[in-house]
Amino acid sequence: MVKDPVCGMDLDPQSAFATRQHWGQTVYFCSQSCVDQFDADPRQYALAGSITTGYNPDLSSARIELPIVGLKKSDRAQALEGALQAVPSVHAAKINAGSSAVQVDYDPSVVTINALSKAVKSAGYRVGGAQTRIGIVDLRCASCVKFIEDGLKATPGVLDATVNVGTQEATIDYLPEKTALPQLRGAIEAVGYQARPARSDEPEDVQRAEHEREYRRLLRKFWFAALISIPVLITAYPQFLPIIRDWPMETLRIAWGVTALLTLPVLFYSGGHFFSGAWAALKHRSANMNTLIALGTAAAWLYSTSAILFPSIFPEGTSEPFYDVVAVVIALVVLGQALELRAKGRTSEAIKKLMGLQAKTARVVRDGREIDIPVEEVLVGDIVQVRPGEKVPVDGLIVAGSSAVDESMLTGESLPASKKPGDEVIGATLNKTGAFKFRATKVGKDTALAQIVKLVQDAQNSKAPIARLADTVSGYFVPIVMILAVLTFVAWFDFGPQPQLVFALVTSVTVLIIACPCALGLATPMSLMVGIGKGAENGILIRSGEALQTAHQIKTVVLDKTGTITKGKPELTDVVVAGEWKPNDLLQLAASVERSSEHPLAEAIIEGAKQRQIDLVEPTAFEAVPGHGVIATVEGRRVVLGNLKMMQREALALGDLEAQAAHLADDGKTPMYVAIDGQAAGIVAVADTVKEDSAEAIAALHRMGIEVVMITGDNQRTAQAIARQVGVDRVLAEVLPEDKAHNVHLLQAENKKVAMVGDGINDAPALAQADVGLAIGTGTDVAIEASDITLIKGSLKGVVTAIEVSRATMRNIKQNLVGAFIYNALGVPVAMGVLYPFFGILLSPLLAGAAMAFSSVTVVSNANRLRAFKPRFSAK
Amino acid sequence: MTTIQIIVTLGGIALSIFIAWFFWFAPKTKMQAALGASGAQEVAVTVKGGYTPDLIVVKAGQPVRLRFTRRESAACSEMVLFPDFKQSAKLPEGEEVSVEFTPDKPGEYGFQCQMGMLRGKLIVE
Repeated sequence: MVKDPVCGMDLDPQSAFATRQHWGQTVYFCSQSCVDQFDADPRQYALAGSITTGYNPDLSSARIELPIVGLKKSDRAQALEGALQAVPSVHAAKINAGSSAVQVDYDPSVVTINALSKAVKSAGYRVGGAQTRIGIVDLRCASCVKFIEDGLKATPGVLDATVNVGTQEATIDYLPEKTALPQLRGAIEAVGYQARPARSDEPEDVQRAEHEREYRRLLRKFWFAALISIPVLITAYPQFLPIIRDWPMETLRIAWGVTALLTLPVLFYSGGHFFSGAWAALKHRSANMNTLIALGTAAAWLYSTSAILFPSIFPEGTSEPFYDVVAVVIALVVLGQALELRAKGRTSEAIKKLMGLQAKTARVVRDGREIDIPVEEVLVGDIVQVRPGEKVPVDGLIVAGSSAVDESMLTGESLPASKKPGDEVIGATLNKTGAFKFRATKVGKDTALAQIVKLVQDAQNSKAPIARLADTVSGYFVPIVMILAVLTFVAWFDFGPQPQLVFALVTSVTVLIIACPCALGLATPMSLMVGIGKGAENGILIRSGEALQTAHQIKTVVLDKTGTITKGKPELTDVVVAGEWKPNDLLQLAASVERSSEHPLAEAIIEGAKQRQIDLVEPTAFEAVPGHGVIATVEGRRVVLGNLKMMQREALALGDLEAQAAHLADDGKTPMYVAIDGQAAGIVAVADTVKEDSAEAIAALHRMGIEVVMITGDNQRTAQAIARQVGVDRVLAEVLPEDKAHNVHLLQAENKKVAMVGDGINDAPALAQADVGLAIGTGTDVAIEASDITLIKGSLKGVVTAIEVSRATMRNIKQNLVGAFIYNALGVPVAMGVLYPFFGILLSPLLAGAAMAFSSVTVVSNANRLRAFKPRFSAK
Repeated sequence: MTTIQIIVTLGGIALSIFIAWFFWFAPKTKMQAALGASGAQEVAVTVKGGYTPDLIVVKAGQPVRLRFTRRESAACSEMVLFPDFKQSAKLPEGEEVSVEFTPDKPGEYGFQCQMGMLRGKLIVE
């Protein structure tokens, strides 16, 4: 017996008045009025828990599907079932790997979803719900935190809730199918607090605001240090200035004393962060740029101050101060940091652009009315109305209306895509011509846009192998520079010219100041950030720095034929008949047989028959012979449909059909023989046509010096025909799907970096085997597991652009790394004074400070140059 | 060579050796992750001029939750990366941000800020 969710009546599924499919479950109704009520707002009944959970108060069991992140069938997955079953009052737990979810039957009066979520965590997984933040007005006492958290956790569908007193916000993980935002707000209000919208959900906005504050703070520090630098510089070089030149030594010494006091606030205000940073690092037994600047400026200040306080203990001519080093170096380095921060902000522009695409509000139909709500509150299953000129708020399937939708912002495809009921629409795309309604299928962080943003951000922060050397070096860099500074001091003190102490101090301070570990550390991440962002702007999602780096070395590109070079949807092209047969009769029998087949070619034949308005009949005694074809009985006739092997198996004489089939195959079509009642009767041919821009893209790959290989399960002739049309170099035909990875491996054995381009589902092993796997995705499915790079737009031009982006980015990274290495490799020895014995050249610490400050700015600016990158096949 | 030069030379060499010892060879304190209420191994990490603690010991095969709180405004540390686990997180100043993953294989995995200035190590046993 099942329950009508509207009236609650028990009914027999067989005798139900009507049924509806709702969130993967069949719902049964007793009468028309119940159906109507349900159709008006299915969500209302879902929220009551009666459908999605199958919750029935009479039974002590509820069912829930928990989406699990990263769920695969493996040993640990078994552990997951075990962990859930171990929870008291959980009756059953079953993994559905296909939908990445685990189905749990439990007693809702005993078990909370929170407890299930904990069990999932203990098995090493995470429940993938939505996350939201809600602000709480006037949250003061820390003890109330627990009340609010408990209140939220007790709300059905909430997986976890934490309240932060500092930010006055609650962060809630929940299952959007089970919980609506009003319920969460209600839970907070039930504890006696008022909810308000969270301050900003976008970490980008938070970061931008933080950057802006930090920038202003650094600028203030710079102006202060720069201002103090003026009197300090005047008194530091009295011999160059007319009036001060004539000051007696006593006056000068007093002036120096004043600058000593003046530079103190520069040290502790403008340069304060160097000292606190150095101290914090020291506590961890590590050292960084802060350590170097702090040591250098502190040494200069301490020496100068002792020199003017106790001139007598210093040898003749060495009791002069270097306050200019303190003030000017701090001013320059702080200015450098400010400029670097500015430039850094621009490197993540691509992400900001992507995030800016998100629509802010959605118009949904609830309780039969259209209401505007914030996009965060749209739920899976909501019916959303979109008018011409509006943005599609979330991902979904069109249920009514049709339109042309501009998807260029996500796919790079410039032509608007036409949409009709049943088609997928992607959030953040722009509706052009018509109005339509769609049912939301993905919201929040599950939308294609959110996934793209997440993917791009993760990739931008991943490591490229090329950075490894720089990383290793910068790990040892600072202590080495400190040791070099000590040795420089000793060398100049022992062997340098008079006054030795001054030379020793100036050179060792210069060494500390000029060395710039930042430039090394920034070189790769900054370029990666821009490069991967650039890819995303062009519809290419590069999953990691490693993929980006490997892509620039690609020498061979393997293209899967079906769906990659071709449209991937075969069409019926020819019907050839033998003897007395009429084409339509033959097609009727052939297409009728195929009604029971699941082969993709079958669909093309059926579709072709339908287009010719041929009525099909139900076949009987259907039998599929793998690798050969199908046999069935249609209207009392035994129809055999299949390839040459099938005909040989059946021992049928083919006559001139074989030659005709060869002719069709030469044209790249797939001929299938039709035999009726033991006689060869004809051929039906289907073909998968080539995408319009495949040839152009392959030609571009050739110009880039890349060999293009086509791989396909089709026969040699079909493959060659397609190959001729698009101009690939090499064809690997008749490759079984499971052998594709092996063939990629064979190509790799030729010592070339191989990229594999495929659809990401059937080609997953080959994609994983290749040095770089590129998946051609369509629509909202962007997170294709096996791929290193996802091409959102289903065109081969994306392969060209991906390699172009990779090459441009790697060139940029190399420039940065070479620049940073050379800068340090030259700068540090020059600062140590290696040129002095030969040319008498010694670097001023002021120059060293300027060089250090601008070396990292240069690296970031060079990375920003990548923003001007234009792909060959520009969408705009 | 004068006496003072000999003293400076010896002092310099001693200082160099001390720097090498201090930064590279001295033993560091490790922090063993404790099993939190959520069933994950939890450690709270403060970010200020470095990661405290910066040596974290966890068990393999169990989820790890590292709760980072950044207590400085320097943009350098605004992100923490776990390249080996393909995890990264933005760390807004003063806000606790959790990084969660499950290390499968024992070994030593580094974590760091975006430009590698601050570093820590996760030891999976």
